[in-house]
Amino acid sequence: MVFPTLQFIGFFAVVLALNGLFWNSNALRKGMLLLASYVFYAAWDPRFVLLMAFVSLVAWAAGLGVRVPGLRRLSKVASIAAMLGVLAVFKYFDFFMFQLQALLQDTAFARDLTWMTVILPVGISFYTFQAISYVMDVDRGHIPPCRNPFDVALFISFFPQLVAGPIVRAAHFLPQLDNPRRPDAAARATAVVLILSGLFKKMVVANYLSVLLVDPAYGLPDGQYWLSALAATLGYAIQIYCDFSGYSDIAIGVALLLGYEFNRNFNQPYRADSLRDFWQRWHISLSTWIRDYLYIPLGGGKGGAPRRTFTLILTMTLAGLWHGAGWNFILWGFLHGAGQAVERGFRGMNVALPRLLAIAVTFVIVALLWIPFRAHTFPDTLSMLAAFGKTEGYAAPELTVTVWALIAVGFAMNWLPLSWRDRATMTLARLGPEIQALILGIGIFTLFATAQEGVAPFIYFQF
Amino acid sequence: MSQMTRFTLACFAALVAAWLLSGERFLDAVFNMMDLGSLDDTIIAGVVVLEDWKAGLSLPDVFGSMRMAIHRGLGLL
Repeated sequence: MVFPTLQFIGFFAVVLALNGLFWNSNALRKGMLLLASYVFYAAWDPRFVLLMAFVSLVAWAAGLGVRVPGLRRLSKVASIAAMLGVLAVFKYFDFFMFQLQALLQDTAFARDLTWMTVILPVGISFYTFQAISYVMDVDRGHIPPCRNPFDVALFISFFPQLVAGPIVRAAHFLPQLDNPRRPDAAARATAVVLILSGLFKKMVVANYLSVLLVDPAYGLPDGQYWLSALAATLGYAIQIYCDFSGYSDIAIGVALLLGYEFNRNFNQPYRADSLRDFWQRWHISLSTWIRDYLYIPLGGGKGGAPRRTFTLILTMTLAGLWHGAGWNFILWGFLHGAGQAVERGFRGMNVALPRLLAIAVTFVIVALLWIPFRAHTFPDTLSMLAAFGKTEGYAAPELTVTVWALIAVGFAMNWLPLSWRDRATMTLARLGPEIQALILGIGIFTLFATAQEGVAPFIYFQF
Repeated sequence: MSQMTRFTLACFAALVAAWLLSGERFLDAVFNMMDLGSLDDTIIAGVVVLEDWKAGLSLPDVFGSMRMAIHRGLGLL
Protein backbone atom coordinates (compact mmCIF):
# COMPACT_ATOMS: atom_id res chain seq x y z
CA MET A 1 0.00 0.00 0.00
CA VAL A 2 1.41 3.38 -0.91
CA PHE A 3 0.37 6.78 0.38
CA PRO A 4 -1.08 8.53 -2.69
CA THR A 5 -3.77 5.93 -3.39
CA LEU A 6 -7.47 5.64 -2.62
CA GLN A 7 -6.71 2.37 -0.83
CA PHE A 8 -4.45 4.16 1.63
CA ILE A 9 -6.93 6.98 2.15
CA GLY A 10 -9.64 4.43 3.02
CA PHE A 11 -7.24 2.49 5.24
CA PHE A 12 -6.06 5.60 7.05
CA ALA A 13 -9.60 6.91 7.58
CA VAL A 14 -10.47 3.69 9.40
CA VAL A 15 -7.24 3.74 11.46
CA LEU A 16 -7.79 7.40 12.38
CA ALA A 17 -11.31 6.66 13.55
CA LEU A 18 -10.25 3.61 15.60
CA ASN A 19 -7.33 5.57 17.05
CA GLY A 20 -9.78 8.16 18.35
CA LEU A 21 -12.21 5.50 19.55
CA PHE A 22 -9.52 3.66 21.54
CA TRP A 23 -7.77 6.81 22.77
CA ASN A 24 -8.54 6.12 26.42
CA SER A 25 -7.28 2.54 26.27
CA ASN A 26 -3.62 2.70 25.35
CA ALA A 27 -3.20 -1.09 25.15
CA LEU A 28 -6.12 -1.43 22.72
CA ARG A 29 -4.88 1.50 20.68
CA LYS A 30 -1.35 0.14 20.42
CA GLY A 31 -2.72 -3.28 19.49
CA MET A 32 -4.85 -1.73 16.77
CA LEU A 33 -1.90 0.27 15.42
CA LEU A 34 0.30 -2.85 15.38
CA LEU A 35 -2.36 -4.83 13.53
CA ALA A 36 -2.90 -1.94 11.10
CA SER A 37 0.85 -1.72 10.47
CA TYR A 38 1.06 -5.42 9.65
CA VAL A 39 -1.99 -5.15 7.35
CA PHE A 40 -0.32 -2.15 5.67
CA TYR A 41 2.83 -4.22 5.08
CA ALA A 42 0.92 -7.37 4.10
CA ALA A 43 -0.83 -5.41 1.36
CA TRP A 44 2.49 -5.50 -0.48
CA ASP A 45 3.35 -9.16 0.20
CA PRO A 46 1.97 -11.09 3.19
CA ARG A 47 4.92 -13.53 3.26
CA PHE A 48 7.38 -10.90 4.41
CA VAL A 49 5.35 -9.98 7.46
CA LEU A 50 7.00 -12.98 9.13
CA LEU A 51 10.43 -11.58 8.35
CA MET A 52 9.57 -8.28 10.00
CA ALA A 53 8.13 -10.12 13.00
CA PHE A 54 11.35 -12.15 13.24
CA VAL A 55 13.51 -9.01 13.22
CA SER A 56 11.26 -7.46 15.89
CA LEU A 57 11.50 -10.57 18.06
CA VAL A 58 15.29 -10.67 17.75
CA ALA A 59 15.53 -6.98 18.67
CA TRP A 60 13.23 -7.39 21.68
CA ALA A 61 15.08 -10.46 23.00
CA ALA A 62 18.47 -8.82 22.44
CA GLY A 63 17.28 -5.70 24.26
CA LEU A 64 16.60 -7.82 27.32
CA GLY A 65 19.75 -9.91 26.83
CA VAL A 66 22.24 -7.03 26.70
CA ARG A 67 21.23 -6.07 30.24
CA VAL A 68 21.94 -9.54 31.65
CA PRO A 69 25.49 -9.86 33.01
CA GLY A 70 27.39 -12.45 31.02
CA LEU A 71 24.95 -12.32 28.10
CA ARG A 72 25.62 -8.77 27.01
CA ARG A 73 28.22 -9.39 24.32
CA LEU A 74 26.56 -12.54 23.00
CA SER A 75 23.16 -10.85 22.78
CA LYS A 76 24.54 -7.84 20.98
CA VAL A 77 26.74 -9.67 18.50
CA ALA A 78 24.28 -12.47 17.75
CA SER A 79 21.31 -10.15 17.26
CA ILE A 80 23.14 -7.67 15.07
CA ALA A 81 24.61 -10.54 13.04
CA ALA A 82 21.12 -12.01 12.63
CA MET A 83 19.63 -8.69 11.54
CA LEU A 84 22.49 -7.87 9.19
CA GLY A 85 22.23 -11.45 7.95
CA VAL A 86 18.59 -10.88 7.00
CA LEU A 87 19.62 -7.71 5.19
CA ALA A 88 22.53 -9.48 3.46
CA VAL A 89 20.37 -12.35 2.20
CA PHE A 90 17.35 -10.36 1.08
CA LYS A 91 19.07 -7.27 -0.22
CA TYR A 92 22.56 -8.24 -1.31
CA PHE A 93 22.47 -11.96 -2.13
CA ASP A 94 21.64 -11.51 -5.83
CA PHE A 95 24.25 -8.79 -6.19
CA PHE A 96 27.07 -10.86 -4.69
CA MET A 97 26.12 -13.99 -6.62
CA PHE A 98 26.13 -11.98 -9.83
CA GLN A 99 29.57 -10.57 -9.00
CA LEU A 100 30.87 -14.04 -8.18
CA GLN A 101 29.51 -15.42 -11.44
CA ALA A 102 31.14 -12.58 -13.39
CA LEU A 103 34.41 -13.27 -11.58
CA LEU A 104 34.30 -16.96 -12.45
CA GLN A 105 33.14 -16.35 -16.02
CA ASP A 106 36.50 -16.70 -17.70
CA THR A 107 37.94 -19.37 -15.45
CA ALA A 108 37.69 -23.12 -15.30
CA PHE A 109 35.29 -22.64 -12.39
CA ALA A 110 32.62 -20.84 -14.45
CA ARG A 111 29.18 -21.72 -13.10
CA ASP A 112 25.63 -20.57 -13.55
CA LEU A 113 24.91 -19.16 -10.10
CA THR A 114 21.50 -17.72 -10.87
CA TRP A 115 19.79 -20.76 -9.32
CA MET A 116 17.95 -18.59 -6.87
CA THR A 117 16.75 -15.03 -7.02
CA VAL A 118 15.65 -13.25 -3.88
CA ILE A 119 12.76 -10.79 -3.75
CA LEU A 120 13.75 -7.55 -2.03
CA PRO A 121 11.22 -6.93 0.75
CA VAL A 122 10.00 -3.34 0.74
CA GLY A 123 11.50 -1.18 3.47
CA ILE A 124 13.86 -3.86 4.79
CA SER A 125 16.81 -1.43 5.08
CA PHE A 126 14.69 0.96 7.11
CA TYR A 127 13.21 -1.41 9.64
CA THR A 128 16.45 -3.38 10.05
CA PHE A 129 18.31 -0.18 10.88
CA GLN A 130 15.63 0.77 13.41
CA ALA A 131 15.92 -2.64 15.03
CA ILE A 132 19.72 -2.39 15.22
CA SER A 133 19.55 1.10 16.71
CA TYR A 134 17.18 -0.20 19.40
CA VAL A 135 19.63 -2.91 20.50
CA MET A 136 22.58 -0.49 20.37
CA ASP A 137 20.74 2.17 22.38
CA VAL A 138 19.77 -0.32 25.08
CA ASP A 139 23.33 -1.64 25.15
CA ARG A 140 24.73 1.88 25.51
CA GLY A 141 22.29 2.64 28.32
CA HIS A 142 20.50 5.39 26.39
CA ILE A 143 17.13 3.69 26.92
CA PRO A 144 15.90 0.92 29.23
CA PRO A 145 15.02 -2.40 27.58
CA CYS A 146 11.40 -2.67 26.57
CA ARG A 147 9.67 -5.54 28.40
CA ASN A 148 6.68 -5.62 26.07
CA PRO A 149 7.52 -7.34 22.75
CA PHE A 150 4.50 -5.72 21.10
CA ASP A 151 5.88 -2.24 21.84
CA VAL A 152 9.13 -3.15 20.08
CA ALA A 153 7.15 -4.66 17.22
CA LEU A 154 5.10 -1.47 16.89
CA PHE A 155 8.23 0.70 17.03
CA ILE A 156 9.72 -1.30 14.14
CA SER A 157 6.55 -1.68 12.06
CA PHE A 158 4.66 1.58 12.68
CA PHE A 159 3.14 2.06 9.23
CA PRO A 160 3.74 5.79 8.56
CA GLN A 161 7.52 5.30 8.54
CA LEU A 162 7.73 1.59 7.77
CA VAL A 163 8.73 1.43 4.14
CA ALA A 164 10.70 4.60 3.49
CA GLY A 165 11.51 6.24 6.80
CA PRO A 166 12.21 8.51 8.50
CA ILE A 167 14.36 6.09 10.50
CA VAL A 168 12.90 6.65 13.94
CA ARG A 169 14.99 6.22 17.11
CA ALA A 170 13.64 4.12 19.96
CA ALA A 171 14.61 6.78 22.49
CA HIS A 172 12.36 9.22 20.66
CA PHE A 173 9.44 6.91 19.84
CA LEU A 174 9.05 4.38 22.66
CA PRO A 175 8.29 7.00 25.36
CA GLN A 176 5.56 8.37 23.08
CA LEU A 177 3.87 4.96 23.01
CA ASP A 178 2.92 5.31 26.65
CA ASN A 179 2.28 9.05 26.51
CA PRO A 180 0.78 9.87 23.11
CA ARG A 181 -0.22 13.47 22.55
CA ARG A 182 -3.80 14.01 21.42
CA PRO A 183 -3.44 16.14 18.27
CA ASP A 184 -4.42 19.74 19.08
CA ALA A 185 -5.28 22.45 16.55
CA ALA A 186 -1.59 23.23 15.87
CA ALA A 187 -0.68 19.57 15.39
CA ARG A 188 -3.61 19.04 13.02
CA ALA A 189 -2.66 22.17 11.07
CA THR A 190 0.96 21.01 10.80
CA ALA A 191 -0.23 17.58 9.66
CA VAL A 192 -2.54 19.04 7.01
CA VAL A 193 0.22 21.27 5.61
CA LEU A 194 2.74 18.41 5.61
CA ILE A 195 0.38 15.91 4.00
CA LEU A 196 -0.72 18.32 1.27
CA SER A 197 2.79 19.59 0.52
CA GLY A 198 4.11 16.01 0.51
CA LEU A 199 1.41 14.84 -1.88
CA PHE A 200 2.02 17.85 -4.13
CA LYS A 201 5.76 17.16 -4.23
CA LYS A 202 5.23 13.49 -5.04
CA MET A 203 2.10 13.38 -7.20
CA VAL A 204 2.68 16.53 -9.20
CA VAL A 205 6.34 17.53 -9.28
CA ALA A 206 8.19 14.21 -8.91
CA ASN A 207 5.86 12.00 -10.93
CA TYR A 208 5.48 14.38 -13.87
CA LEU A 209 9.22 15.10 -13.99
CA SER A 210 9.81 11.38 -14.02
CA VAL A 211 7.40 10.69 -16.88
CA LEU A 212 8.00 13.78 -19.01
CA LEU A 213 11.75 14.18 -18.61
CA VAL A 214 13.89 11.89 -16.49
CA ASP A 215 12.71 8.43 -17.58
CA PRO A 216 12.82 9.22 -21.32
CA ALA A 217 16.28 10.83 -21.01
CA TYR A 218 17.79 8.03 -18.93
CA GLY A 219 16.04 5.45 -21.10
CA LEU A 220 18.34 6.45 -23.97
CA PRO A 221 21.33 8.35 -22.56
CA ASP A 222 23.19 8.02 -25.88
CA GLY A 223 20.51 10.06 -27.57
CA GLN A 224 20.85 13.13 -25.34
CA TYR A 225 22.62 16.45 -25.94
CA TRP A 226 23.80 19.19 -23.61
CA LEU A 227 20.45 20.85 -22.95
CA SER A 228 18.48 17.63 -22.46
CA ALA A 229 21.30 16.24 -20.26
CA LEU A 230 21.23 19.44 -18.24
CA ALA A 231 17.43 19.31 -17.92
CA ALA A 232 17.51 15.61 -16.98
CA THR A 233 20.23 16.22 -14.37
CA LEU A 234 18.34 19.14 -12.82
CA GLY A 235 15.08 17.22 -13.22
CA TYR A 236 16.36 14.15 -11.37
CA ALA A 237 17.82 16.28 -8.57
CA ILE A 238 14.36 17.80 -8.11
CA GLN A 239 12.50 14.51 -8.68
CA ILE A 240 14.38 12.58 -6.01
CA TYR A 241 14.12 15.47 -3.55
CA CYS A 242 10.37 15.87 -4.08
CA ASP A 243 9.79 12.12 -4.14
CA PHE A 244 11.63 11.33 -0.93
CA SER A 245 11.00 14.48 1.08
CA GLY A 246 7.37 14.25 -0.06
CA TYR A 247 7.14 10.76 1.44
CA SER A 248 8.75 11.96 4.67
CA ASP A 249 6.36 14.93 4.90
CA ILE A 250 3.33 12.64 4.48
CA ALA A 251 4.73 10.13 6.99
CA ILE A 252 5.34 12.84 9.59
CA GLY A 253 1.89 14.33 8.99
CA VAL A 254 0.09 10.98 9.19
CA ALA A 255 1.93 10.06 12.43
CA LEU A 256 1.07 13.45 13.89
CA LEU A 257 -2.65 12.88 13.31
CA LEU A 258 -2.31 9.62 15.24
CA GLY A 259 -0.59 11.38 18.15
CA TYR A 260 3.10 10.70 17.44
CA GLU A 261 5.89 13.08 16.53
CA PHE A 262 8.75 12.25 14.16
CA ASN A 263 11.76 14.46 13.68
CA ARG A 264 12.21 16.38 10.46
CA ASN A 265 13.99 14.34 7.77
CA PHE A 266 14.82 17.10 5.25
CA ASN A 267 15.93 20.66 5.77
CA GLN A 268 16.20 22.40 2.39
CA PRO A 269 19.08 20.19 1.22
CA TYR A 270 19.86 22.19 -1.91
CA ARG A 271 20.69 25.21 0.26
CA ALA A 272 23.71 23.33 1.56
CA ASP A 273 27.03 25.14 1.21
CA SER A 274 29.16 21.97 1.39
CA LEU A 275 28.73 18.23 1.03
CA ARG A 276 29.00 17.89 4.80
CA ASP A 277 26.21 20.44 5.14
CA PHE A 278 24.20 18.58 2.48
CA TRP A 279 24.27 15.40 4.57
CA GLN A 280 23.07 17.38 7.60
CA ARG A 281 20.03 18.42 5.56
CA TRP A 282 19.30 15.35 3.37
CA HIS A 283 17.68 12.23 4.86
CA ILE A 284 18.72 13.47 8.28
CA SER A 285 17.53 10.32 10.06
CA LEU A 286 19.89 8.18 7.96
CA SER A 287 22.82 10.62 8.27
CA THR A 288 22.55 10.69 12.05
CA TRP A 289 22.09 6.90 12.18
CA ILE A 290 25.26 6.42 10.14
CA ARG A 291 27.13 8.93 12.30
CA ASP A 292 26.09 7.31 15.59
CA TYR A 293 26.23 3.62 14.72
CA LEU A 294 28.88 3.45 11.98
CA TYR A 295 31.15 6.49 11.69
CA ILE A 296 31.84 7.00 15.40
CA PRO A 297 32.32 3.27 16.18
CA LEU A 298 34.72 3.07 13.22
CA GLY A 299 36.85 5.78 14.79
CA GLY A 300 35.11 8.93 13.61
CA GLY A 301 37.29 11.98 13.90
CA LYS A 302 40.00 10.15 15.87
CA GLY A 303 43.51 9.47 14.62
CA GLY A 304 45.62 11.23 12.04
CA ALA A 305 44.44 12.72 8.77
CA PRO A 306 44.85 9.51 6.70
CA ARG A 307 42.88 7.47 9.26
CA ARG A 308 40.09 10.04 9.46
CA THR A 309 39.89 10.27 5.67
CA PHE A 310 39.71 6.49 5.39
CA THR A 311 36.94 6.30 8.00
CA LEU A 312 34.95 9.03 6.28
CA ILE A 313 35.20 7.48 2.82
CA LEU A 314 34.46 3.99 4.13
CA THR A 315 31.40 5.23 6.01
CA MET A 316 29.99 7.05 3.00
CA THR A 317 30.72 4.09 0.70
CA LEU A 318 28.77 1.84 3.06
CA ALA A 319 26.00 4.46 3.10
CA GLY A 320 25.97 4.19 -0.69
CA LEU A 321 25.70 0.41 -0.44
CA TRP A 322 22.77 0.82 1.96
CA HIS A 323 20.90 2.58 -0.83
CA GLY A 324 21.12 -0.39 -3.11
CA ALA A 325 23.03 -3.48 -4.12
CA GLY A 326 24.83 -2.04 -7.12
CA TRP A 327 28.19 -0.59 -8.08
CA ASN A 328 26.51 2.69 -9.02
CA PHE A 329 25.38 3.19 -5.41
CA ILE A 330 28.83 2.22 -4.10
CA LEU A 331 30.44 4.72 -6.48
CA TRP A 332 27.94 7.40 -5.47
CA GLY A 333 28.68 6.88 -1.77
CA PHE A 334 32.43 6.73 -2.35
CA LEU A 335 32.40 10.01 -4.30
CA HIS A 336 30.38 11.72 -1.57
CA GLY A 337 32.94 10.50 0.96
CA ALA A 338 35.89 11.57 -1.19
CA GLY A 339 34.26 14.95 -1.77
CA GLN A 340 33.85 15.51 1.95
CA ALA A 341 37.47 14.49 2.51
CA VAL A 342 38.57 17.12 -0.03
CA GLU A 343 36.36 19.71 1.67
CA ARG A 344 37.96 18.84 5.00
CA GLY A 345 41.37 19.45 3.43
CA PHE A 346 40.29 22.89 2.19
CA ARG A 347 38.87 23.75 5.60
CA GLY A 348 42.19 22.77 7.15
CA MET A 349 43.89 25.29 4.84
CA ASN A 350 41.28 27.92 5.74
CA VAL A 351 40.07 28.10 2.14
CA ALA A 352 36.41 29.09 1.92
CA LEU A 353 34.19 30.24 -0.93
CA PRO A 354 31.62 33.03 -0.56
CA ARG A 355 28.40 31.39 0.70
CA LEU A 356 26.31 31.82 -2.45
CA LEU A 357 29.10 30.45 -4.63
CA ALA A 358 29.61 27.58 -2.18
CA ILE A 359 25.88 26.73 -2.41
CA ALA A 360 26.02 26.78 -6.21
CA VAL A 361 29.17 24.62 -6.35
CA THR A 362 27.70 22.15 -3.85
CA PHE A 363 24.48 21.86 -5.83
CA VAL A 364 26.37 21.23 -9.08
CA ILE A 365 28.42 18.47 -7.42
CA VAL A 366 25.37 16.87 -5.77
CA ALA A 367 23.38 17.01 -9.02
CA LEU A 368 26.24 15.47 -11.02
CA LEU A 369 26.65 12.73 -8.43
CA TRP A 370 22.98 11.84 -8.86
CA ILE A 371 23.85 10.73 -12.42
CA PRO A 372 25.46 7.38 -11.47
CA PHE A 373 22.76 6.97 -8.82
CA ARG A 374 20.03 7.19 -11.47
CA ALA A 375 21.83 5.72 -14.48
CA HIS A 376 22.40 2.29 -12.84
CA THR A 377 25.32 1.32 -15.14
CA PHE A 378 28.74 2.82 -15.86
CA PRO A 379 28.15 2.99 -19.64
CA ASP A 380 24.90 4.89 -19.11
CA THR A 381 26.59 7.21 -16.60
CA LEU A 382 29.37 7.94 -19.08
CA SER A 383 26.86 8.46 -21.91
CA MET A 384 24.92 10.98 -19.85
CA LEU A 385 28.09 12.83 -18.90
CA ALA A 386 29.28 12.78 -22.55
CA ALA A 387 25.93 14.25 -23.62
CA PHE A 388 26.95 17.54 -21.97
CA GLY A 389 29.48 17.93 -24.82
CA LYS A 390 27.01 17.22 -27.65
CA THR A 391 25.02 19.83 -29.53
CA GLU A 392 22.48 17.43 -31.02
CA GLY A 393 20.56 14.46 -29.68
CA TYR A 394 18.33 11.98 -31.46
CA ALA A 395 16.13 10.89 -28.55
CA ALA A 396 15.90 13.91 -26.29
CA PRO A 397 12.64 14.35 -24.37
CA GLU A 398 10.56 17.36 -25.35
CA LEU A 399 11.71 20.27 -23.18
CA THR A 400 8.38 22.01 -22.85
CA VAL A 401 7.48 25.01 -20.70
CA THR A 402 5.75 22.53 -18.34
CA VAL A 403 9.02 20.63 -17.79
CA TRP A 404 10.98 23.79 -16.94
CA ALA A 405 8.09 25.02 -14.77
CA LEU A 406 8.11 21.74 -12.81
CA ILE A 407 11.85 22.11 -12.22
CA ALA A 408 11.32 25.70 -11.08
CA VAL A 409 8.48 24.69 -8.75
CA GLY A 410 10.65 21.91 -7.32
CA PHE A 411 13.42 24.39 -6.61
CA ALA A 412 10.91 26.71 -5.00
CA MET A 413 9.77 23.87 -2.70
CA ASN A 414 13.38 23.60 -1.53
CA TRP A 415 14.12 27.32 -1.33
CA LEU A 416 10.91 28.85 0.03
CA PRO A 417 11.57 30.28 3.50
CA LEU A 418 10.38 27.92 6.21
CA SER A 419 8.63 30.89 7.81
CA TRP A 420 6.10 30.82 4.93
CA ARG A 421 5.12 27.29 5.82
CA ASP A 422 5.01 28.20 9.50
CA ARG A 423 2.73 31.14 8.72
CA ALA A 424 0.37 28.92 6.68
CA THR A 425 0.34 26.43 9.56
CA MET A 426 -0.43 29.13 12.12
CA THR A 427 -3.30 30.44 9.98
CA LEU A 428 -4.69 26.92 9.61
CA ALA A 429 -4.34 26.30 13.35
CA ARG A 430 -6.75 29.12 14.05
CA LEU A 431 -9.51 27.41 12.02
CA GLY A 432 -12.00 24.92 13.41
CA PRO A 433 -11.41 21.18 12.98
CA GLU A 434 -14.17 20.86 10.36
CA ILE A 435 -12.56 23.56 8.19
CA GLN A 436 -9.13 21.93 8.62
CA ALA A 437 -10.60 18.61 7.46
CA LEU A 438 -12.35 20.31 4.56
CA ILE A 439 -9.10 21.93 3.41
CA LEU A 440 -7.36 18.55 3.65
CA GLY A 441 -10.18 16.90 1.66
CA ILE A 442 -10.34 19.55 -1.07
CA GLY A 443 -6.54 19.58 -1.30
CA ILE A 444 -6.30 15.81 -1.74
CA PHE A 445 -9.19 15.83 -4.23
CA THR A 446 -7.49 18.51 -6.32
CA LEU A 447 -4.10 16.79 -6.18
CA PHE A 448 -5.60 13.47 -7.30
CA ALA A 449 -7.27 15.33 -10.17
CA THR A 450 -3.93 16.88 -11.14
CA ALA A 451 -1.87 13.71 -10.88
CA GLN A 452 -1.33 11.30 -13.73
CA GLU A 453 -3.20 8.00 -13.88
CA GLY A 454 -1.70 5.02 -12.09
CA VAL A 455 0.55 4.74 -9.09
CA ALA A 456 4.24 5.61 -9.35
CA PRO A 457 6.21 3.94 -6.53
CA PHE A 458 8.44 6.05 -4.35
CA ILE A 459 12.12 5.89 -5.34
CA TYR A 460 13.25 5.02 -1.81
CA PHE A 461 10.93 1.98 -1.64
CA GLN A 462 13.63 0.00 -3.44
CA PHE A 463 16.10 0.72 -0.64
CA MET B 1 -17.34 16.02 21.33
CA SER B 2 -13.56 16.48 21.15
CA GLN B 3 -11.94 18.55 18.41
CA MET B 4 -10.18 15.45 17.04
CA THR B 5 -13.50 13.58 16.82
CA ARG B 6 -14.98 16.50 14.90
CA PHE B 7 -11.93 16.52 12.62
CA THR B 8 -12.25 12.76 11.98
CA LEU B 9 -15.99 12.98 11.28
CA ALA B 10 -15.39 15.89 8.89
CA CYS B 11 -12.72 13.82 7.12
CA PHE B 12 -15.27 11.02 6.66
CA ALA B 13 -17.82 13.52 5.35
CA ALA B 14 -15.23 14.84 2.89
CA LEU B 15 -14.48 11.28 1.80
CA VAL B 16 -18.19 10.61 1.15
CA ALA B 17 -18.46 13.89 -0.77
CA ALA B 18 -15.40 12.95 -2.83
CA TRP B 19 -16.95 9.57 -3.58
CA LEU B 20 -20.23 11.15 -4.65
CA LEU B 21 -18.48 13.58 -6.99
CA SER B 22 -15.87 11.36 -8.61
CA GLY B 23 -17.67 9.10 -11.07
CA GLU B 24 -16.65 5.44 -10.88
CA ARG B 25 -13.11 5.94 -9.64
CA PHE B 26 -13.76 4.45 -6.22
CA LEU B 27 -15.17 1.35 -7.86
CA ASP B 28 -12.00 1.06 -9.95
CA ALA B 29 -9.95 1.42 -6.78
CA VAL B 30 -11.88 -1.37 -5.08
CA PHE B 31 -11.23 -3.67 -8.02
CA ASN B 32 -7.53 -2.81 -7.79
CA MET B 33 -7.15 -3.33 -4.05
CA MET B 34 -5.23 -6.14 -2.36
CA ASP B 35 -6.55 -9.67 -2.59
CA LEU B 36 -8.62 -10.32 0.50
CA GLY B 37 -9.77 -13.78 -0.52
CA SER B 38 -13.44 -14.48 0.07
CA LEU B 39 -13.93 -11.00 1.56
CA ASP B 40 -13.39 -9.51 -1.91
CA ASP B 41 -16.75 -10.65 -3.24
CA THR B 42 -18.63 -9.23 -0.26
CA ILE B 43 -16.86 -5.87 -0.44
CA ILE B 44 -17.29 -5.57 -4.20
CA ALA B 45 -20.97 -6.53 -3.98
CA GLY B 46 -21.51 -3.87 -1.31
CA VAL B 47 -19.68 -1.22 -3.31
CA VAL B 48 -21.65 -2.07 -6.45
CA VAL B 49 -24.92 -1.56 -4.55
CA LEU B 50 -23.68 1.84 -3.33
CA GLU B 51 -22.48 2.78 -6.82
CA ASP B 52 -25.90 1.87 -8.26
CA TRP B 53 -27.56 4.08 -5.66
CA LYS B 54 -25.15 6.89 -6.50
CA ALA B 55 -25.82 6.51 -10.23
CA GLY B 56 -29.53 7.04 -9.47
CA LEU B 57 -28.70 10.47 -8.05
CA SER B 58 -27.25 11.59 -11.44
CA LEU B 59 -24.50 13.62 -9.73
CA PRO B 60 -21.89 15.31 -11.94
CA ASP B 61 -18.38 13.83 -12.23
CA VAL B 62 -16.69 16.89 -10.73
CA PHE B 63 -13.42 15.00 -10.41
CA GLY B 64 -13.32 14.15 -14.12
CA SER B 65 -14.21 17.70 -15.22
CA MET B 66 -11.66 19.17 -12.83
CA ARG B 67 -9.01 16.75 -14.03
CA MET B 68 -9.61 17.64 -17.66
CA ALA B 69 -9.52 21.38 -16.92
CA ILE B 70 -6.31 21.16 -14.87
CA HIS B 71 -4.54 18.96 -17.39
CA ARG B 72 -5.56 21.13 -20.30
CA GLY B 73 -4.64 24.31 -18.45
CA LEU B 74 -1.21 23.12 -17.34
CA GLY B 75 -0.29 21.26 -20.51
CA LEU B 76 0.20 18.02 -18.58
CA LEU B 77 -0.26 14.50 -19.94
